[in-house]
Amino acid sequence: MKHWPLAGLFAVFLVPGHPALAQNAPKKPPAIINPAPTAQDWADLGKLPDWSGVWNPNITDQDKQVKTNPPPWNDLAAGKIKQMFAEERAGAPRLIFFGCFPEAHPTWMLVTHNAMEILFTPGRVTVLGESDGNRLRRIYTDGRPHPDVPDPTFHGHSTGHWEGDTLVVDTVDILPEVALAVSEAAGVPNNGDMHVIERIHLADKDVLHDDLEIIAPHILTAPWKTTRIFFRQRARKFDIVEGVCVEGDYSERIDANGDHVFVPTPRTEWGNIEAPHK
Amino acid sequence: MKQILKVATALALFGSLALGVTSVAAHHSSTMYDHSKTMTIKGVVVELRWVNPHVSLSINGTLNDGEAPELWVMEMTSPGNLVRAGGWRRDAVKPGDRVEVDFSPLRDADKRGGALKRLLVVDSGEVFTANLREQERPGLE
Repeated sequence: MKHWPLAGLFAVFLVPGHPALAQNAPKKPPAIINPAPTAQDWADLGKLPDWSGVWNPNITDQDKQVKTNPPPWNDLAAGKIKQMFAEERAGAPRLIFFGCFPEAHPTWMLVTHNAMEILFTPGRVTVLGESDGNRLRRIYTDGRPHPDVPDPTFHGHSTGHWEGDTLVVDTVDILPEVALAVSEAAGVPNNGDMHVIERIHLADKDVLHDDLEIIAPHILTAPWKTTRIFFRQRARKFDIVEGVCVEGDYSERIDANGDHVFVPTPRTEWGNIEAPHK
Repeated sequence: MKQILKVATALALFGSLALGVTSVAAHHSSTMYDHSKTMTIKGVVVELRWVNPHVSLSINGTLNDGEAPELWVMEMTSPGNLVRAGGWRRDAVKPGDRVEVDFSPLRDADKRGGALKRLLVVDSGEVFTANLREQERPGLE
């Protein structure tokens, strides 16, 4: 019992939140809060240009630019691309997006064969693509900077601001493994430090242009500028539908227990479905 | 009944192709098909696989009259694109339907596969196509 006063002294200092402890603890920065949008924030969205509807790509122009506007590949990348085109012409196309990895940014914008939609909410523009559950771009328009500590992802970290009716998007922190591709069978990993600047705007009432400037210092000798074209559709049959890429690896079957199940389906090394041998 | 048995047998054969498979699906180029050639197969539908990223159609049929029917597999673009560009539906065809299919064959002449260009459902007369580039203008209906 005689030791209690000493124990009491320790207890005072061990109590969480005691001023004596707080003085020595590292200062925790205050949490950054995304504020709840106001009625005015929602109303302001109405002043933005109308990008509603579904946008499908001009694939013919994508193909044309392979020849008319190739990226300024460095020698190493150019050699790889040349080999890939040779393989593609020979009927053995390289599988750039193997394993259903996303086409990612900016290649999604460059080579997609599928539609997308663009949603405006306060502080953000969201681009949703079809045919992969993982085609999604979040473009923050709330004035935030890029992160101090990079956390690379397939679509990178995008900030945006409006210059008139043009959305200017700046994207960094893209995974180095993400391929910069000009077709589904020709592309090389960007190998890090890729930076993409876009100016997205209506070129006509129902035609959207994405003017891209792609800076990829490990594979390009200079920034590459290209414009990608999308057509607006409003017919309901164009509504975006769910597309889970990996579903293509499986067939729907009913097993011995009567359960509806997926079973593996054969694919070739090039990604097409395996056909029966003659 | 005989027709149903044939389809069931072909479906079992199609399923057996899965054994020992390691490759994976993905968005891929279609140059494994020879797009400079068009062939036509007549037969019956075994299965329509209405999945992303590439729909496929297996058919038990023949290239020439008098041949024994064999299983062929045709590949196409995604369901969404087929709906828009070619007027397809998930129920466009069902197992056992008689069809005629125009396709570009695999360059590997040892395999019975192709890229579907045009499908005719014989009994209804419905035609479905698969050309992505038919969507390249705004305001389509």
